[in-house]
Amino acid sequence: MDNNETPAQRPVTLDITGAVEVKPSLSAAVIPPEPSLLPSSDVHFQEESIDLGGESFITPEEDSHSMPSESLMDKLNDQMMESVMISDSPNNSEEDDVVPMDNLLEQFEEREEEQAAAVVKETLVAEEKKEVVEEKVDDLIGQDTTEIKIEAVMMQTSPVASSPEEPLENVKQKLTTDDQDVITVSISAVTPEDSTPSSGSPKPEAAALETSSKGTTSKDESIPVCTIFSQGSQPKVQALVPDGFQPTLIKSPSFSSGTGGSTEITPSQLAPLVCQPSPSLSKFFSDSGHVNPATDFFDSFTTSSFISISNPNAESPKSAAPTERQLSASSGSSLPLQQAPVEPALATAPPQPFTQLQAVFSGGDDPFATALNMSEADKRYDAWLPSEETRKVLISMAMQQYSQVFVERERLAMPGLKFDNLQGDAVKDLMVRLMGEQAAMKRQVLTANSVEQSFLGLKQLISTKNWRAAVDLTGRLLTAHGQGYGKAGQPSSHNTDSLQLWFVRLALLTKLSLFQNAEMELEPFGNLDQPDLYYEYYPTVYPGRRGSMVPFSMRVLHAELPQYLGKPQESLDRLHSMRTVCQTILDNLEQGLAEDGSMINLTQENRQASLQLWKSRLSRVLYAVANCLLMMKDYVLAVETYHSIIQYEPQQKVQLLSGIGRIFLQIGDIKTAEKYFLDVEKATLEKGSGTTDTCVLMNRAFIYLSQNNYSDAHSSFAEVLKIDPKNPVANNNAAVCLLYLGRLKESLRQLEGLVQQDPALYLHESVLFNLTTMYELESSRSTQKKQALLESVACREGDSFNTQCLKLV
Amino acid sequence: MEVNQAKQEHLLALKVMRLTKPTLFTNMPVTCEDRDLPGDLFGRLMKEDPSTIKGAEALMLGEMLTLPQNFGNIFLGETFSSYISVHNDSTQEVKDILVKADLQTSSQRLNLSASNNAVTELKPESCIDDVIHHEVKEIGTHILVCAVSYTTQAGEKLYFRKFFKFQVLKPLDVKTKFYNAETDEVFLEAQIQNITTSPMFMEKVSLEPSMMYNVTELNTVETGDEGTSTFGKMSYLQPMDTRQYLYCLKPKSEFAEKAGVIKGVTVIGKLDIVWKTNLGEKGRLQTSQLQRMAPGYGDVRLSLEMIPDTVNLEEPFDITCKITNCSERTMDLVLEMCNTRSIHWCGVSGRQLGKVSPSASLSLPLKLLSSVQGLQSISGLRLTDTFLKRTYEYDDIAQVCVVCPYMSRES
Repeated sequence: MDNNETPAQRPVTLDITGAVEVKPSLSAAVIPPEPSLLPSSDVHFQEESIDLGGESFITPEEDSHSMPSESLMDKLNDQMMESVMISDSPNNSEEDDVVPMDNLLEQFEEREEEQAAAVVKETLVAEEKKEVVEEKVDDLIGQDTTEIKIEAVMMQTSPVASSPEEPLENVKQKLTTDDQDVITVSISAVTPEDSTPSSGSPKPEAAALETSSKGTTSKDESIPVCTIFSQGSQPKVQALVPDGFQPTLIKSPSFSSGTGGSTEITPSQLAPLVCQPSPSLSKFFSDSGHVNPATDFFDSFTTSSFISISNPNAESPKSAAPTERQLSASSGSSLPLQQAPVEPALATAPPQPFTQLQAVFSGGDDPFATALNMSEADKRYDAWLPSEETRKVLISMAMQQYSQVFVERERLAMPGLKFDNLQGDAVKDLMVRLMGEQAAMKRQVLTANSVEQSFLGLKQLISTKNWRAAVDLTGRLLTAHGQGYGKAGQPSSHNTDSLQLWFVRLALLTKLSLFQNAEMELEPFGNLDQPDLYYEYYPTVYPGRRGSMVPFSMRVLHAELPQYLGKPQESLDRLHSMRTVCQTILDNLEQGLAEDGSMINLTQENRQASLQLWKSRLSRVLYAVANCLLMMKDYVLAVETYHSIIQYEPQQKVQLLSGIGRIFLQIGDIKTAEKYFLDVEKATLEKGSGTTDTCVLMNRAFIYLSQNNYSDAHSSFAEVLKIDPKNPVANNNAAVCLLYLGRLKESLRQLEGLVQQDPALYLHESVLFNLTTMYELESSRSTQKKQALLESVACREGDSFNTQCLKLV
Repeated sequence: MEVNQAKQEHLLALKVMRLTKPTLFTNMPVTCEDRDLPGDLFGRLMKEDPSTIKGAEALMLGEMLTLPQNFGNIFLGETFSSYISVHNDSTQEVKDILVKADLQTSSQRLNLSASNNAVTELKPESCIDDVIHHEVKEIGTHILVCAVSYTTQAGEKLYFRKFFKFQVLKPLDVKTKFYNAETDEVFLEAQIQNITTSPMFMEKVSLEPSMMYNVTELNTVETGDEGTSTFGKMSYLQPMDTRQYLYCLKPKSEFAEKAGVIKGVTVIGKLDIVWKTNLGEKGRLQTSQLQRMAPGYGDVRLSLEMIPDTVNLEEPFDITCKITNCSERTMDLVLEMCNTRSIHWCGVSGRQLGKVSPSASLSLPLKLLSSVQGLQSISGLRLTDTFLKRTYEYDDIAQVCVVCPYMSRES
């Protein structure tokens, strides 16, 4: 308490390094030996480095273990630091405070043990000490004892802190030897006029406490346990952390023999969107040479004129493209008939001679052939501009129908599964671990085996949020297509469905944050520009059809993926080349040409539809660019890009402007954020909704929040709830505000109530994370409450649920 | 008995959480088109996800607030806020609870509790909440010491403490440079580097001058009515980025007159820096007084009052010098002018300037011409004090640009 006198003497400025230190060289260099006016070009200047730190001066380099900025994940986690509980006894401080963030994941479990050990050690020490020091402790209650401890702690940390400083010191000295003179000045915190609450003068109660505690100190120095901080060590972006379900790269032997267990043939097999379970596939492929029952296997899910081809890879992996075309050419003629109801143009599909005829023209600009064979929608959606090299290959494919076109193996996309059987259910595993097998039995989710082995089953798995199972199912379907595990690097042919399956698989892996896996499997696809990813490569299978087999969404995914793996620059490169293609196609359309720049006449409706489609695609790419820039913290460009989207998506103006405002709030630039929020208000007024928009209220709340005005922020969120009582964001945010107002119980009650009443909306990882954090803050029995949450998650959520937000591990 | 008591579980549990600003949840848009295999599935999933922005699901930055995930970093000048919760875990009522939160730094100990009054009773499952704030004014190790004392129903007085240690880091690196202009003006260049790991919005970087100076900030470019910042639209600093601020300090007239006053080490002023980070987390620092060694002028100071910037080759031009006696005694001065290779003085060398008393000055119009083109330095003035027989040399007084008039007319 006596120490409080020190700040009283110098309340405004606190010099940390003490006196200003002027290096002796200064006076000599600065005062010119003779009076002469210094020409401005030759000014002697003093360079002063202002040193804020004393002994504990910490350079960012030194501190890099706690906040590395190399990888993307760390960038996202840069607000985090491992906080440590320190104990009463100095020898218990260990080296907890220098745990590197990088190793956190590995060390996580280890540390738990360590902490337990530390606690045990602590008690031992406490007991030992008690006997020896008991009387002394009685004398040195309160601050004095603590101060001794602090010294001890600091002694331990000082070698860590000081050693990296040495090189820095050298650098400084180097600077001094240059003709710049370095003065070290200290910097200090200011007490602004509004000063801090409780700059603390000794309170009489404190003394009372000390006397009252005097008697108890020695016995009651019990084990301090702080769980809040240490448990918070889980990286924020769970998204980037493989959540313990790292798929192994081991091929399951059961897989080759078909999908075990699902041998029963579903009665709905005859439904249009159903394919047969895999065991029968071998049958399909073994005799795919002469007949074409394979057409029944992959059925179309789009309205496009879709033709399945049997996969040559299943039978003869060596079969080159020409042979394959020969094979399917025979089937090709009869296939279009199947699509008759959907595609009238194809219903009149010509017999073989005509197929050959049109195939000759398919590379050219024959409007007749094209009109005959391509539906307008297909053309619109599939349009893409291949690279020059690929274009040449595609043209020669079309021209040399009957002679062999040699395409180098490297130039083909030869994908294959890189892992299979991802199956797993983190929720169930956690239940087994915490509540035992019995309780875990209650958890029932769909698996790849429990649904139809078809697109229908796949959709079912996706919509029930069983994405892991869905990934498994895509694996099975792709295996049936000959692109299964280990097939990467082996030639196989592509069709619309196989690429859609790949797209779904990769999208789900991304959604599951299994970015590495997605990247591995995308790798054989290269930059999605191989000739065999275009319809023109298969003139007999897709006569006259042109454009990219790769769905646009897969291209977006492919471009976005590297940013999640710490390679945002690569993402930007890919996105910008996509943007160029979109822009070129839009330009072509506006100049009265077809999407690919050919002189095909489009009807007005088709042109409009195409323009609309490509505008929305362009804006999707721009969103991706902006998101990537935001992740890179390049706020200037991100804001610019978000702003540029407004011209393509005017109906999203309000959301975009609010989003930009929030970016400014994130940076801390509240004034600019307010400007954008004002624009939002204007935009909503133009819309003329009459009542105040929730969006405006929400923005207002964020402004209050940034001004540390939590009570007004809370009432703004509450106002949103008056208009839209079910708004999950406002509900959650209002609860967060309550916590900052010191109303933990209320906040908890509100969030708990929401999760119980409307689990569909509130079993979201952000809400659950907040809730579990508050449980931890509230009581020592948070684990039971978290388990209760786990149970409610178990009855509702699929296998893709991210259990990390429950902080149960 | 005593041993048992030491191991006994406490009826109350103390939890502490640092309250940094909440963060906005970011979602990861994965989209598809209607014609793709999942159809509208992905779109529907994203619409149902409460964390997405409705109507613009591809926008990554959401509106959902999430509580701080971890302790984070704390920097000098920021405010340390913390939630302190004392919860009654037991089944019995506890009396006379006193919660005390102190912050121990290397130099002092502060009491941070809002109230120092004991709470008379705490029922099972209820808690005492406190949110503490403290502006961090020291670097290095800080320890938050939370002490709880209470009385059980049996009348037993119990007490326990917990310690939370954290490091306060340095947020900024500030370097300053002074430039002395030919006039009495001083330019201060301040380099401010963000050495944290997050972007920093610089809300205010101003120079509070000492009483001797007036300051002009040179960090905006005047365009029309409003000045635009020299740093462009975004006024934030990325981690490790440095920004240079420039200030011009002019001595106030009452000090400028007396040249003798601004001599030796002078206090220029201090920089006041206010920044903000995530959702308005605020920080403020001031440097200590910046000191500058005023250029020494010796006994006699020669400064320029007037000089043309561009002159014609071989044409005489005028300059006006001001000679100030900075010494404590009266001087009797003689002016000599020595020609250099390029600069030729017109007029008589060895001229008597008469007596100059301390702090007095006199204006001296001089004529000279240059025989060489280009940027020429004016040198070669000598002042001799006849009392002490001391000669002061003035070289490189100023520079003029010498051009050929015929050439410039053509162009």
